[in-house]
Amino acid sequence: MTDADTSTIEQESDDAVEAAGALARRVAENVGEVIVGHQAEIEHILTAVLGRGHVLLEDVPGVGKTMLARSIAASFDGSFNRVQFTPDLLPSDITGVNVYNQKTSEFDFRPGPVFANVVLGDEINRAPPKTQSALLEAMEEQQVTVDGDTYEMPDPFTVIATQNTVERDRTYELPMAELDRFMKKLHLGYPDSGDEAELLGRVVGNHPIEQLSPVATLEDLRAARTAVGEITVEEPIRAYVTRLSEYTREQAQLGVSPRGSIALLRAAQARAALAGRDYVVPDDVQAEVSAIMPHRIRTTTADRTGEEIVTEARRTVTVE
Amino acid sequence: MSTDAGTAAPEATPNTTGRPWSAVFEPRGLALLSTGLLLFSFTFPLYEIIDVVGDPGTFLLVVAVTLAVATGLSRVVGAWTALPVGLALLLLGLWTYASALPADVFAQQDRIFGDVLSLFMGLSVLRLQMIELFALAYTPGPVFLAWYLALRRRYVGTALVGGAALTFFVLTGDVGTLVALLGALGAVGTVGFGRLERFGGADRAVETMAVVLAVIVVVTMLVSVVPGGTGTPFGLFGDGGTETIEGSLISSDERVAIQGSISLSSEVRFTVESSRETYWRTGAYDRYTGDGWVRTGSALGYRGEMASPPGEARIVEQTVTVESELDAMPAAWKPVRVGEGVADSTSVTSLGGLQPAQPFSPGDSYTVSSSQPVASPSRLQRAGNDYPRQIESRYTNLPSSTPDRVATRARQIQDGANAETVYETARAVESYLEREKEYSLDVERPEGDIADGFLFEMDRGYCTYYATTMVTMLRTQNIPARFVVGYTSGERVGDDEYRVRGLDSHAWVEVYFPSVGWVRFDPTPAGPRQDAERERVGGDENGGNVNDDPEPTTEPPSTPSPATNEPTANTPDSTPETVQTLGEEDAVRTTRDDGGGLPLPDPPSREEAALILVVVGGVVAGARRLGLTERVYRVIWVRWQPRDGPAADVQRAFERVEYVLAREERPRRDGETPREYLAAVDADESVEQVYRLHERARYAGDVTVSVADDTVAAANEVVRERTGPFG
Repeated sequence: MTDADTSTIEQESDDAVEAAGALARRVAENVGEVIVGHQAEIEHILTAVLGRGHVLLEDVPGVGKTMLARSIAASFDGSFNRVQFTPDLLPSDITGVNVYNQKTSEFDFRPGPVFANVVLGDEINRAPPKTQSALLEAMEEQQVTVDGDTYEMPDPFTVIATQNTVERDRTYELPMAELDRFMKKLHLGYPDSGDEAELLGRVVGNHPIEQLSPVATLEDLRAARTAVGEITVEEPIRAYVTRLSEYTREQAQLGVSPRGSIALLRAAQARAALAGRDYVVPDDVQAEVSAIMPHRIRTTTADRTGEEIVTEARRTVTVE
Repeated sequence: MSTDAGTAAPEATPNTTGRPWSAVFEPRGLALLSTGLLLFSFTFPLYEIIDVVGDPGTFLLVVAVTLAVATGLSRVVGAWTALPVGLALLLLGLWTYASALPADVFAQQDRIFGDVLSLFMGLSVLRLQMIELFALAYTPGPVFLAWYLALRRRYVGTALVGGAALTFFVLTGDVGTLVALLGALGAVGTVGFGRLERFGGADRAVETMAVVLAVIVVVTMLVSVVPGGTGTPFGLFGDGGTETIEGSLISSDERVAIQGSISLSSEVRFTVESSRETYWRTGAYDRYTGDGWVRTGSALGYRGEMASPPGEARIVEQTVTVESELDAMPAAWKPVRVGEGVADSTSVTSLGGLQPAQPFSPGDSYTVSSSQPVASPSRLQRAGNDYPRQIESRYTNLPSSTPDRVATRARQIQDGANAETVYETARAVESYLEREKEYSLDVERPEGDIADGFLFEMDRGYCTYYATTMVTMLRTQNIPARFVVGYTSGERVGDDEYRVRGLDSHAWVEVYFPSVGWVRFDPTPAGPRQDAERERVGGDENGGNVNDDPEPTTEPPSTPSPATNEPTANTPDSTPETVQTLGEEDAVRTTRDDGGGLPLPDPPSREEAALILVVVGGVVAGARRLGLTERVYRVIWVRWQPRDGPAADVQRAFERVEYVLAREERPRRDGETPREYLAAVDADESVEQVYRLHERARYAGDVTVSVADDTVAAANEVVRERTGPFG
């Protein structure tokens, strides 16, 4: 992905937006100390975080999915939990359980690992659907219900899940309805040879993640999220997003839902903030669309994938 | 043409009503529209003819019912069932018509065959007997087939059927150039648009078709006006040359078209040796078309002595010596016998007149005996109005387009003269015309109905106008009358010898009286006419002879009672009223005629308007096809920016710059954002400024009047720098 802000057009913006942009750039730089390359993916994750979304990283094992997620989490001073999904993982292993306290003769709630500012769900597709859904409820509702009691999630709350594309026979494919709750689905891919060489150089000795320190407070993040939510989205942009979604609905059996349109708009706002701009331009939408739309599209035939339809939409839907 | 607007249109309308307008511009709609044009082209002549002889309501009803039935059947019945139905309709119609013809006509098989042949050689359908029945019988077949086939999308069949029906009327000469052209356009359009419909006509194909149709019109029109061609662009405007009365009246033709200004020829046509001085009649006409006269029925060979008039008659023997080429056989009414020498080459018209088989050459001579009805005014007064049915139906017909005011005026004259009998009415009308209108050969032919025009809008005219008007007025009062042409008695050059010149040609009126026969009335003032004629002959001829023309204006010795002759003097009650009405109406007419400043061109007729529409449609389609309209629009659009609101102004300025860039570099692609485009093309500072301001205005909602001003100014600069004067 190219940075939208490559043109000569000068930027004007208010301080909050500027601060949000600075925060994102700071975090990106910090993460860059650990992760070699993958600038675009880092930006994508950051815009998702700023846009109150969750991210699904999908790729073969060993390309740094978990390391990326950990680096991002480590860049904030909030809490970070990691859950390794396995076939025998139970929902209560994620959400927490009520434990009988013999001193008080009452049940105390022991929060599960989901109660953190950044949750890394590793290999989410290895757990059975019931367990997956426990995480997904937390993502969508910003709350968890255990034995009839409801517990609010911390704010900010971001889930970065990874999923394995090999060993499909021992996985539980995430259903469409649940995929929809991830704002973005990203592929990392292998680093190119130069990046890989540098990567190898870095891991000699101490792993750099051990030295990674937070560069942003939760307070900063909350303020940045508020600023992003107030970025101007004029009618032409809303119409453009609508046209893109409609195009996918026309072309595929199952197109992008209104929830997908909302996600695209939020991500575009965050993308604008990343450039320090207080309004969204079509370039922001285009920069985000290929991360947000494909996993929400189901095609009837195998010869056209969601990615292809989104590429078509980007190329043919008129920008006005 | 002369019929009122709007009534002839229903054939063309059904396919346009009740549909959204956009459907009309689809190939299907256009094909049906063309079919409507084709239907119009061959029903319109019949409609016009029906309109001449009577009420076209029934005819229109038949057409409408046929269209409705065809529409209904097209939904349920296949072509192979409907085709025989259509053919059967046609045959049934023709059989009905044939069986309704009078027995004597039907008996003469050879004559029917000859008539059918002569129909195809240019004999007008107008001359068919019982034309109304013919129209009703003939129309349903072709109309049904054409419309049915069009609805079944068999457009070629439609064009064949409609084309055949139209060709029939083209051959009979009843279709004018314009209507024929419209019909041809209809046929071409039907097939063309039909093809487009079947093979998926894109807009471009429809446009091409429109251009082709326009080219057909333009080329057809141009062929008649290019140097070496003849005639005027639109065949209707008539040839304005000066005709002679004789040329317009005297020939064995079956129709008389009424002309404008005419001149007189002093050439001697024939001399007559006759025991009595009378008018030498060459023909009569029974059917008035509003702008001319037609003789119905066809001539038969002379077969021996013919019947005398029903009443008392005297025999007049005449010997005619032809002095110059003459395509007529002048004789006193009513001819009963011709001399041996010409018996074989004489034919008798359906109205009892004589016609030569070939024109006479100078030196030819023939004898003819006529049986002249003798009737004193008192005898005519007593004649009553118990007319034979055939006479009444044939000689009281008028075009339905005849204005009512003609009848009203005739009744006023009748009342004003206290006329109670047919004779008195005829005399009253005759003397009214003699009194009110001046004789002049230099007149402009009125638009529309001749009689109405002469009666209400013209102050002067010549014999054709007088006679036409008198016949029309009498017919409005249900008095059988007909239009007669021939020569006046001419110059008396010896005992019983008369020299007749071209300038003696004349038109007058015959009125039918039961048990008397046809009696001559001449509404043309005798004095001025003879003056005009004498001027041409010159002073050396002994004009005195002509002057004391012993023949009165009517056939019977003219001893009119004072009451008939001076109607106004004796009827004080009604006269002032009449006079007043006349005065008022004349005043109105006069101001209207004289008050005009610039002579405005006549508005085009319906057919011309339709053709102009086709041409305009073609030009527009052609311009669209070539992108001309778009181009012209853009040339103006890109330079001139009206202001309406800052946001709209910025957007417009941006579009102008994009348009200029699109032509210079490349258009912005569909999925390309302005920023990507700007980075990709060669943009200078003005362009960048427009894009920057536009982006803020459009995507940040950040727009003020000054921003709009800046944007427009920058856009103007871009346009100025990057376009030529006509770019």
